[in-house]
Amino acid sequence: MAKVLIFVEQRDGKNKKSSFELIGASSAAGNETHAVIIGDSVSGLANECAQYGANKVHVVQDAVLKNYTGEAYARALTAAIKSISPEIVLASHTPMGRDLLPLVAAQVDGALATDCTSLQFSGAKLQLKRPVYSGKATADVEFCGSGIQMATVRPNAIGVPKPDASKTADATSITADFSGLKTKILEVMKGNSARPDVTEASIVVSGGRSLKTAENFKILEDLADSLGAAVGASRAAVDAGYRPHRDQVGQTGKVVSPSLYIACGISGAIQHLAGMRTSKVIVAINTDPQAPIFQIADYAIVGDLFQVVPALTGEVKHLKE
Amino acid sequence: MNLYVCIKQVPDTETKIKINGDSSGIDTAGIKWIMSSYDEFAVEEALRLKEKNAGSTVTVVSAGPDRVVDSLRTALAMGADNAIHVELPENADSNMAAKAIAGALKKESGIDLIFFGKEALDDGAAQVPQLVASYMALPSVTVVTGIEYNGNTLKCKREIEGGSYEVVEVNTPAIIAAAKGLNEPRYATLPNIMKAKKKEVKALKLADIGVSAADQKIKLKNFQLPPPKQAGKKIDGDAATQAKALVAALHNEAKVI
Amino acid sequence: MTWQTLAFLIVGGGAFYLSGKKFHILYQMMKAQKGKAPKFGDFAARIKNALVYVLGQKAVLQKPFVGIAHTAIFWGFIIITIGTLEQFCMTLYSGASFEFIGREPYTILIASQDFFTAFVLFGVLMAAYRRFMNAPKYLTQSSDANYVLLFTGGLMVSIFLMNAFHVLGTNPWFTDSYFISKHIASALSGFGFSDDTNHNLYTFFKWIHMSIVLGFAIYIPGSKHLHIVAAGPNTFLKKLNREKGMTPINFEDETVTQYGAAKYTDMSWKDSLDLYSCTECGRCEELCPAWNTDKPLSPKRLIVDLKKNLYRNKALILDGKIDEVSHVIDDHVTEDVIWACTSCRACEVACPVFIEHTDKIYDIRRNLVMMESKFPTEVQAVFKNMETNASPWAFSPSERANWAQGLNVKTMADVGSAETLDVLLWVGCAGSYDDRNKSVVKSFVSLLNKAGVKFAILGTEEQCTGDAARRIGNEYLFQTLAKANVETLNRYNVKRIVTACPHCFNTLKNEYGEMGGQYEVFHHSQFIAKMIGEGKLKSTKPINETVTFHDSCYLGRWNNVYAEPRAAIEAIPQVKMVEMKMNHDKGMCCGAGGGRMWMEETIGKRVNVTRSEQAIETGATTVATACPFCITMISDGMKTKDMVDKIKVRDIAELMDETT
Repeated sequence: MAKVLIFVEQRDGKNKKSSFELIGASSAAGNETHAVIIGDSVSGLANECAQYGANKVHVVQDAVLKNYTGEAYARALTAAIKSISPEIVLASHTPMGRDLLPLVAAQVDGALATDCTSLQFSGAKLQLKRPVYSGKATADVEFCGSGIQMATVRPNAIGVPKPDASKTADATSITADFSGLKTKILEVMKGNSARPDVTEASIVVSGGRSLKTAENFKILEDLADSLGAAVGASRAAVDAGYRPHRDQVGQTGKVVSPSLYIACGISGAIQHLAGMRTSKVIVAINTDPQAPIFQIADYAIVGDLFQVVPALTGEVKHLKE
Repeated sequence: MNLYVCIKQVPDTETKIKINGDSSGIDTAGIKWIMSSYDEFAVEEALRLKEKNAGSTVTVVSAGPDRVVDSLRTALAMGADNAIHVELPENADSNMAAKAIAGALKKESGIDLIFFGKEALDDGAAQVPQLVASYMALPSVTVVTGIEYNGNTLKCKREIEGGSYEVVEVNTPAIIAAAKGLNEPRYATLPNIMKAKKKEVKALKLADIGVSAADQKIKLKNFQLPPPKQAGKKIDGDAATQAKALVAALHNEAKVI
Repeated sequence: MTWQTLAFLIVGGGAFYLSGKKFHILYQMMKAQKGKAPKFGDFAARIKNALVYVLGQKAVLQKPFVGIAHTAIFWGFIIITIGTLEQFCMTLYSGASFEFIGREPYTILIASQDFFTAFVLFGVLMAAYRRFMNAPKYLTQSSDANYVLLFTGGLMVSIFLMNAFHVLGTNPWFTDSYFISKHIASALSGFGFSDDTNHNLYTFFKWIHMSIVLGFAIYIPGSKHLHIVAAGPNTFLKKLNREKGMTPINFEDETVTQYGAAKYTDMSWKDSLDLYSCTECGRCEELCPAWNTDKPLSPKRLIVDLKKNLYRNKALILDGKIDEVSHVIDDHVTEDVIWACTSCRACEVACPVFIEHTDKIYDIRRNLVMMESKFPTEVQAVFKNMETNASPWAFSPSERANWAQGLNVKTMADVGSAETLDVLLWVGCAGSYDDRNKSVVKSFVSLLNKAGVKFAILGTEEQCTGDAARRIGNEYLFQTLAKANVETLNRYNVKRIVTACPHCFNTLKNEYGEMGGQYEVFHHSQFIAKMIGEGKLKSTKPINETVTFHDSCYLGRWNNVYAEPRAAIEAIPQVKMVEMKMNHDKGMCCGAGGGRMWMEETIGKRVNVTRSEQAIETGATTVATACPFCITMISDGMKTKDMVDKIKVRDIAELMDETT
């Protein structure tokens, strides 16, 4: 049993779901679970933290915290840690969490392990695993000394528990000093398409020459949208004008390493493989059972993509309901 | 301008990873060492700034065993002027590395900007730039894909999720951690490669900067390879059957959707 | 002293002085070139070349119509120069005629003058017809060319008129020998001029003739007609063998600070002689795969533009201000031009004056890559991969021998020394990592086993030969790889190597020697032919296909290996062989050479698609290849043309394995 503080990430007045994974895990292990929300007028978000298992919710509020800057949020979280004195501090390994926690670790002389893919509590000690060498190996984390243990955990590594809608919490305020800041956020731009960039996406649906027309790529786009994925293309498809060059995956295009790569009608010539070979899970759909792509596919479907892909889209939508 | 770039030497990404005898790390025999890719964007950005501001110098810093001097020379070959090697044991953690780098940088004067790569290709910890920023009481901006230089302030574009980005203004001196897309790193010209071979590299020991093993906060142990990749599963049936089976497998087995 | 002598001394002296000055400038410019020229040995072979190609006009006659026209003009000119010489002598001193050779011989001389004047005129008319009425696309129209034809034709006409009026005005004793001129004289006698008038007209046309000659002498240095002075020496100095390697740079030499050619003056005097020899005939342009697919590179235009670049800097060069000479890349010789080359060497093989276009392109690339770091962006990844992984692809070197798993293939590490082996099999990067080419190598291994050949591979000790690095211009990277390979090969006492990749074949055979590695290197097609010849392989199973063979440039044009692959295919029962229209030395490149395999092709039509169309045109059902790049490019081409179901693309090793 330990005193655990979880940094709950919020943007635009909404809590990030992955923060709840940590609250849930901490609470399930019987820890005294504190949550801290940082922002401008965020006390309204406290109840949700309690619903996922937080015993106490704190807020650090200031106009300067409306949008994230590492400098200001670090001051806020450091103040919270100094006020609460937790033994363990957790955050989700999101763009915000991964930027913030190292800044804070140095301030509170804590020991920080980032991008952990497995989290267990063993009494007052954290047991963590993290990937190394681009996921080619994993290692366990051992904390040296007895300072604050800190960790950022990969989103979706634990799973969000079911909330208890009956729980509520009153947020206690913590103050911090925000004078003399040297960073200022000027604007936050939303990406113009809901679809992520092919190099950033964790799922990529990719098409080859067999799509035959640019219009036919719509069936891949539908599948991508159902998965929140990006759409990629082989060089042949780009050359034929079906997709723009920025979508090209391969040695002379983009090198991607998503969790899931679905190759539709792509034969798997070496130049393409060089661009997606390190994807965690590879699915190949092709009418040619001899296509080289099947050598590296984890799941092989010998079939007509024009039939299989729409069927897949239907199944994914069904799953997400 | 006095520009600094901190680089890390890592195993090449195509290296086959083998675990060493006591699982305390990887077997380093036969490994090809390279400058971590994100650090290349950092070096390139500093070089471009230098070219735009006459009289500037670029100093490149790396903490690690003796082999990292090769990567320092790679940065010198790209066009950096000076190099500092801070000796650091093989399995030092982010905190010890950050303390070593901060210690070395505190010996320098008149620093305008310090560039890092946003994370290292080997451990992917993404901590050192922020740790160094804290230890040096400097502001930091990470995952930067675009910079506008305006005298004492920088306007940085940083990527967050879902294709969105933030534009942050920061006062110099500051620490910038570069992400892919910041620039296209140059290929070193041969005359510069030849010159870099002969340049002097300043060497610092941990004792020189007051860093010790006590600064190590975490240790990694029990290195394991992932279970071997199963041969691909062929999914049979008609399109509808295949789709259903695949989605089930991806959700329950592979857990990627 | 007659007025003619005086006039000739002044005019002739003046003309020769002006002409001489211009030639001297050309010579000084040649001397100012900073690069090192190769050594020229084996005089006997060179003299033979001069006889065959200069006197014999062998290369020029490759194109019959214009070849005959040129031969007529060339030989004709040599003979009538004797007459011109006599004319000059007699103008200086009237008694200096060549009659001293004897009356019989002199009549033959006079007759030969008439004959060869007509011969030249005939050639000029053929050439004029071609240029003005029936010009091929690769022939540039220019005022320079027109002046040359005009001067040459004018010279002949003036000779005939001069001779005719000589006959009419003086009736010399050898008139009968003027067997053509005398008939012209007859015709002209119709004017009824007096003897004096005729004699004056003779003098007039004699001076017209001499003036044209002297004018030509002044004109030639600034014209493409300079080839009459330069082409002979250029032929004498031509490379003796088809096979050649690029000149290595000595990186240990600290006095060398410029790698490659940033300015034309960085190249050698031989490169200048090449420029001086160009006749702008266009035979190179006709066959260039880049030009024929709408890239901005034409070898002819490149040579002309390089010459213009050089001449633009004439004043600076003569002044010794080499540092101020302009960059070789200019508005005409653009980077796109330089990168478009596939190093197929069709230009060099077609050139009747033996210009080496590709070496200049490589030299320019060397500067762009090593000194300026300016090259297509996608190439940087290839360099980095070769540096870290010893192959152009981002695959781990530890996986290099995975293709051989389960095949019982020995590695040199197992065997220890090559002395007990027949040959070392050099697999190459494509054979090691690319699925399509792994299958080719496996077929060849099967053939080696069938033939009972004792062989081994280097396995994970094999590194990329560095061919692509060298062709793209990264000589430093090439030497790093080459030295490592030579060290490994020599450590195992390797003497004989066979490989299925023509690029590896060419580099190991023709370029590793200068890196310290002398080996007997075979391409697998040669090895297969050898094994068939020795009875170790017999084609028994029929293959009922119409097969056309696509020549690999590095095998065919570069190393003259044309017969062996065809012999292997023809030995297969029931195979019917057809040739593409463009075959052997005229075969079109697949587009991947010169490092272009690793670059995006964004300009014009795809080279591989054009070549695939040529294959489809033959009606073949199988295209046979002998190179991992060709098989990739042609397969891709067939996919683009939607012919995958109708035409197979297979390596000859695969065909042979099926039939034995």
